[in-house]
Amino acid sequence: MNEVKQMLAELEAVCADPKKQLSDALTQGKKCIGVLPYFCPEELAYAAGMQPFGLWGAEMQVNDSKRYYPAFICSLLHTVLEMGLKGMLNDLSGIMVPICCDSLKGFGANWQYGVGTVPVIDVAWAQNRRLDAGTEFTRAQFRKVLGQLEEIAGHSISDADITAAISVYNKNRAALRDFSAAAARHPEAVSPSARCAAIKAGYFMDRAKHTEALQTLTTKLNALPEASWDGLRVVTTGILADSPALLQILEDNHIAIADDQIAQESVFFRVDTPVTDDPVLGMAKRFETIEGCSVLFDPGKQRGNELVELAKAAHADGILWVMTKFCDPEEYDYVPVKRKIDAAGIPLLTVEVDQQMVNYEQARSAVEAFAEMLRA
Amino acid sequence: MADIYTLGIDVGSTTSKCVILKNGSEIIASALIPAGTGTSGPGRALATALEQAGLSNEQLTAVTATGYGRNTYEGADFLVSELSAHALGAAALMPGVRTVIDIGGQDAKVLHINVDGKLESFLMNDKCAAGTGRFLEVMARVLEKDVTELAEMDAEATGTVNISSTCTVFAESEVISQLAKNVNLNDLVAGIHASVAVRTAGLTRRLGVTPPVGMTGGVARNAGVVRALEKELNTSITVSPLAQLAGAYGAALYGWNKRKENE
Repeated sequence: MNEVKQMLAELEAVCADPKKQLSDALTQGKKCIGVLPYFCPEELAYAAGMQPFGLWGAEMQVNDSKRYYPAFICSLLHTVLEMGLKGMLNDLSGIMVPICCDSLKGFGANWQYGVGTVPVIDVAWAQNRRLDAGTEFTRAQFRKVLGQLEEIAGHSISDADITAAISVYNKNRAALRDFSAAAARHPEAVSPSARCAAIKAGYFMDRAKHTEALQTLTTKLNALPEASWDGLRVVTTGILADSPALLQILEDNHIAIADDQIAQESVFFRVDTPVTDDPVLGMAKRFETIEGCSVLFDPGKQRGNELVELAKAAHADGILWVMTKFCDPEEYDYVPVKRKIDAAGIPLLTVEVDQQMVNYEQARSAVEAFAEMLRA
Repeated sequence: MADIYTLGIDVGSTTSKCVILKNGSEIIASALIPAGTGTSGPGRALATALEQAGLSNEQLTAVTATGYGRNTYEGADFLVSELSAHALGAAALMPGVRTVIDIGGQDAKVLHINVDGKLESFLMNDKCAAGTGRFLEVMARVLEKDVTELAEMDAEATGTVNISSTCTVFAESEVISQLAKNVNLNDLVAGIHASVAVRTAGLTRRLGVTPPVGMTGGVARNAGVVRALEKELNTSITVSPLAQLAGAYGAALYGWNKRKENE
């Protein structure tokens, strides 16, 4: 158990100081590419020998970014822009910006105007992603991204390089899935905070090294004796569920995360990239198969069906929707997805979070009441 | 057999409430002090209730704290969230209600409870003063009135001045501009109440309106808001005279139930 704790603490330390990971990569002579959510083809940067560096916002107050965005834009984008404007991301050689929600559409222009020194790589993908034309569009866009990355890297990137990078990412996704399953079996050893950190650390580390760490950790977890768990189990859904305060509240209420449908977490690792002759086509095809995220075109709201199935498979006591404040796609999804959850008779708690929140008492009350309700 | 006394204390954001129950059913004392968490309010509410009941602290079998300041209240045997406490209190005060709307000093909640008073689902407002007791206090101050006068003014209204904004700060500006137009004050108060009702009804509909509907919390004492909410939801709303004490009452019941479980 001590070894598990030690390994989890190391991954938590990575998340607590991502800047150190960035500095370490730069010291090794690597160029780093910032990657905004969601679904950017970061394998291409990896294939170029550069280190993708996840930009998922930060718990901080924003000032300068308010010159570019109104207050009612999600704090994820506000805080990334704030870090850029404050020069905290100047060591990046570029930043991938997907164009998949109204707020992200203006991000690249705001960044170029306000930050200037770090070039923007726009990432477009087809919302009609299951049409042949959609796949071809996404493939072509990813090829365009590849060209920009080659320019930044200063050398060409071969298909063999891309195939090797895809393999690294697929192994990482497999390791993440195995870890998530082991963590669900051992809630006594993996707290909600530790689970989140183990997954999130991959956005700041070399993916291959992250895979090694996760595989060792999972082996240790699987070797632990079966332990009884008298707490509650929930499945989380949303964009982000990495707020330390909220995760601590879950822990305080003896609530474990049995599985998730979080964009930052399992939505990233649930499906692999298929092996194809043209590796970029494989990446576009992977994009066709991703489910469970509000920024994706999702006719019939399969997200709700998937979420219900995840909760049933995990024997969850309920679902926790971690609602990112001012996230329009999440709010739009809420009504149809909630209907499916209600129809399945699964208790749902929605807690709104914001990376600029300083007071979590309302969230604490809601989680406590939810726990009391489930235990009654 | 000796009588059993359980006390519930609801340490709210703006008020502190206490209820002492005898044998899990009879309210023998209650207190409401207009000072909430972090003030002398909780201590004064406790002292007032004990004095009214003629009891000492030692004679209490269980003390249960609820409300915004429950975690910092010293001397509690049990803690319970205000949502569970209001569910229990509302079910006891208004038997049969299935939807409970609770508007307190700084937040609003909607609860679904089953026929046994068990909490089934709930929603809380977002972090905003609009539609809460604080909103009414701000508006009363602008009108140079006490918040307790608003209900009577609403009853005298012959029309409703539209307050379109749901933001407390902007609504305050709107009210000031209406005052500059010299509108009828009673009609303006009716507009303020309608604004609270619209916001609360939105929250209620989001969870679903299952009749019968009851209301708890300090704002339930304002008949103008209750009327506006009934109109907005198109349903009658039951209000207990002890609506503001529902949380403390529920906490006292929680302590009683816990004591029975532990027997």
